[in-house]
Amino acid sequence: MALSRGERVFNVANILFFILLMALMIYPFWYMIMASFSDPDLTASGGLFLVPAGFSITAYQAVFQNVSILSGFKVTIITTVAGTLIGTFLSAGMAYAVSKKRLRGGKLFSLLILFTMLFSGGLVPSYLLVKMLGLIDSYGAFILPGAIGAWNIFVMISFFRGIPDELEEAAKIDGANDLTVFFRVVLPLSKPVLATVGLFIAVGYWNDFFSSVLYATEKDMWQLQMVLKDLISNTSQAISQAGISVAVQQQVNPFTVKMASILVSSAPILAVYPFLQKHFVKGALIGSVKG
Amino acid sequence: MAATKPAVMAGKRTREARGSLLKDIVRDRYLYLLLLPGLLLVLVFKYMPMYGVIIAFQEYNIYKGITGSEWVGFDQFTRLFNSPDFTEILGNTIIISVYKLIASFTLPIILALLLNELHSKLFKRFAQSVVYLPHFISWVIFSGILITFLNPVDGLVNLILQRFGVMPIDFLGDVRYFRSILVISDIYKEVGWGTIIYLAAIAGVSADLYEAARIDGANKLKQTWHVTLPAIRPVILILVILSLANILEAGFQQIFLLYNPLVYDVADIIDTYVYRVGIQEANYSYATAAGLFKSAVAMTLILTVNTIVKKSGQEGLW
Repeated sequence: MALSRGERVFNVANILFFILLMALMIYPFWYMIMASFSDPDLTASGGLFLVPAGFSITAYQAVFQNVSILSGFKVTIITTVAGTLIGTFLSAGMAYAVSKKRLRGGKLFSLLILFTMLFSGGLVPSYLLVKMLGLIDSYGAFILPGAIGAWNIFVMISFFRGIPDELEEAAKIDGANDLTVFFRVVLPLSKPVLATVGLFIAVGYWNDFFSSVLYATEKDMWQLQMVLKDLISNTSQAISQAGISVAVQQQVNPFTVKMASILVSSAPILAVYPFLQKHFVKGALIGSVKG
Repeated sequence: MAATKPAVMAGKRTREARGSLLKDIVRDRYLYLLLLPGLLLVLVFKYMPMYGVIIAFQEYNIYKGITGSEWVGFDQFTRLFNSPDFTEILGNTIIISVYKLIASFTLPIILALLLNELHSKLFKRFAQSVVYLPHFISWVIFSGILITFLNPVDGLVNLILQRFGVMPIDFLGDVRYFRSILVISDIYKEVGWGTIIYLAAIAGVSADLYEAARIDGANKLKQTWHVTLPAIRPVILILVILSLANILEAGFQQIFLLYNPLVYDVADIIDTYVYRVGIQEANYSYATAAGLFKSAVAMTLILTVNTIVKKSGQEGLW
């Protein structure tokens, strides 16, 4: 069918609009890339728009010699890996049990989970609880409070309900119990939903800084985003911290180091983004179908 | 005789039910085993704090604990509602949140409609990837970007404004601009992500409906208005219920990372207030009362809106 003149004009305008929008979304990252690679002496004049001024990697040398950033990476990687495994696995176990309609008390358990979406104890009681449990300055404080999310469980329940019962019954006839069915039959079939939920949980842990604000009194227990937050509001201090060699210290520019730090700490998210993208759309959709 | 017979049978039935309940639990023991660790985390980290809200009715003393602290009834709430801070933080919370709600209600729908009109599959997918991306970047990083770009001395925005002869503006330190910055940066970060569910809903609209509309002489705009929008109305409604329920959720992380004493008057919301007063100044009971006020309002809102929606014959959240 031939397009009318109006439709053609609209299509071109629409494409132009999206090109503009994408440019707007990408530009801050491009700006940071270009600023972080710029020659520290040349950026002071503040004329960066589209291309780097000169070329230098001293900013990145400073980032990777900064003990706070390295320690932040360590804390965040441990938190993210452990938290994602614990969160995904325990959510799956809960969701699988509740997804079985025959389970006595299943309704009550799903109500218990649902209610956490409607009401929460709030910041202060949660903080006091973590304190009382003696979790201050420990990985437990970063990992445990947020490991189980109601939304993730409902996403998984609706996925598990979609697995044909025949598969599980067949395994049971072969003598498998619920545990072996869960590990050998259900989990292998659930890779898409596990990946989706796992990636969401992982992004949550990676981007978390507020747990450090609340629960870390020692700087060496700061998560990466917390180190970054400190560095953004206080660049010169972050640079003069121990760990950076004098040679690098003399030629760094706080601004380029800041840009490099932001990029380095978002690099892992950008690296997993293509995988994320494949899964999250599915995840968001499963979640929107009521369980 | 006739009267005792059913009673005997009923007794038998409960005994049977009790026996089968135990049998069912034994049969499903491994399911309970799978449920248990997660349930324990939920009970400890979600339900214990709910129990902990009772310190809002006490003068909580960290050394005496919940059992030993003095009960003060609704004193903390009276103090809160009579405090001049309260009107300010409640007002800020609602204003910021309503601005964001209006933006997040309209813009993702428009963007989804426009995305849907992109005919090249490859370009469409690429555009989607790019607009979703900011959702996954942390607010810490975004605050870094904003602080850098809006810096009054050498930030890019001010450098550009200078070329047009505008004096440097301290956007993040000026009460006139701060809320706009909050809303705009929130749109920037979340508008793309907001389109996902709408796109799926739009994709589910039957092609026959468009065909029929075309035969009736409806152009693209009319098709959108009379076919697409009515078809995705249930989805829009559900998302609006959810955001209405979150009306007291004005975006804690974003504000916490961007605000400063210069803009407290327009930016201090319930959550930031609870953090400052509760955690930093250790006014545990008072801050818990403020937090409880927020949670209670949120729960009431979601239950009310959901009931209204269901009464009006639409599908609610549950």
